[in-house]
Amino acid sequence: MTEKISHEEIQKVIKSVPLLSPSANQLLQATTDPDHDQGDIVQIVKLDATLTARVLKIVNSAAIGLINEITSLERAISYLGERLVVGIAVGDCAAQLFDKELKGYEGEHGDLWRHDLRTAIASREIATLSNLKINPDLAFTAGLLHDIGKSLISDYLQGTASEVLSKIENEEYGDYLTAEEELIGIDHPRAGYELALAWKLPEAITEAIRFHHTPAEAREDLRELVYAVHLGDNIAMLGGCGTGADSMHYKLDPNYSQYIELKSEELARVMLTVDVEFNKLERSFSAAGDSNQ
Amino acid sequence: MGQIILGVGDYGASNRPGEEVKTFALGSCVSVILLDPKTRTVGMVHVALPESTINKAKSLEKPGYFVDTGIPALLVEMAKFGCNPKGKGMVVKLCGGANVMDTNDTFQIGKRNGLAVKKILWKYGMGAVAEDLGGNFSRTVTVSVDTGEIILSSPGRSNWKL
Repeated sequence: MTEKISHEEIQKVIKSVPLLSPSANQLLQATTDPDHDQGDIVQIVKLDATLTARVLKIVNSAAIGLINEITSLERAISYLGERLVVGIAVGDCAAQLFDKELKGYEGEHGDLWRHDLRTAIASREIATLSNLKINPDLAFTAGLLHDIGKSLISDYLQGTASEVLSKIENEEYGDYLTAEEELIGIDHPRAGYELALAWKLPEAITEAIRFHHTPAEAREDLRELVYAVHLGDNIAMLGGCGTGADSMHYKLDPNYSQYIELKSEELARVMLTVDVEFNKLERSFSAAGDSNQ
Repeated sequence: MGQIILGVGDYGASNRPGEEVKTFALGSCVSVILLDPKTRTVGMVHVALPESTINKAKSLEKPGYFVDTGIPALLVEMAKFGCNPKGKGMVVKLCGGANVMDTNDTFQIGKRNGLAVKKILWKYGMGAVAEDLGGNFSRTVTVSVDTGEIILSSPGRSNWKL
């Protein structure tokens, strides 16, 4: 029998998680500002020696395959792109969370990081569709962080997966969110939201974490972004990259079509790009000796 | 025991005793398994999308990625093992093709993959004798070359046979 997690307990779990580094936080803030440029990103990274070293190591890794070594941070950032730099900064700070083996979901080591990276790429691809006004870099970052709550509650869900699956099959639970809520009193989007508040993440990202399964409830001005992450998450799961037993046991909100126009052929193209980009990115992260593998 | 592991868009075959052909985590992807009793060869392709028309270059680089190029590529591969190049006498089994819950038409990629596979097989005069398609869970598939037995697994579920 599982026990409900009290509000105090979830706050205790959040306190045990390392804070984001100041540079990761500043990078996230910069990404959400529509007026920022690459110079702002360079300025933030420059002041963080560890991050600078990581960025240079990744850009010069075998996976990137450059002929000439890049030694200037400006060139490295412009080559890798802002979203990857943010990904490196956030991934390094939150490695403990991304890296966690999600036992409560019967996920394997590395599943969460792979799922998050795929969701990030898919959300960015959705954001680049012609009719949208979403910043693709922001969609990438929001996608990367959307499931962070699973790390917080996974341990409390241990041993429940097979029962949850049969209850979903018998329609006792509507989906995996209902199961989380019923079993431990909090679902993973809300746990993630609590962490986002503690980390003081920008509102757009906080909103995407909180409503990625229920995008219709997101704030109107951020709904397009949240729907992009919602679709990105579903695309990652369809690609066989979930976080364990819960994969694909969530509902797709068909009202996305009010915000995002997506034909089946475009979806197929997005899925193909996600596969290609994912393989590239995963190689560059692992080539740089990332702990998130 | 040897294993041939196939990623997304890969295909392969084996007739080596004791070997297994395996693919991980099929979501909406479909695994087409061809068993040739005559040569005791097991072949598998892990297809991701129905039609190669969306990206010709990709289909040349990785024909196994698409249903319409993946199944012909697998047959060519199996012919190297002495199997009939048109698939005559082969036993066909299918798995994968999952969907998310409450999905709409656009997102029924799993279903479209399954249908596309059946359409191509039909052109070869082949039909599946067993299938485990659809649902909303991912599948890892292992085929034994010795027995042709197919074991499926998915997180939170007990293994099952096809």
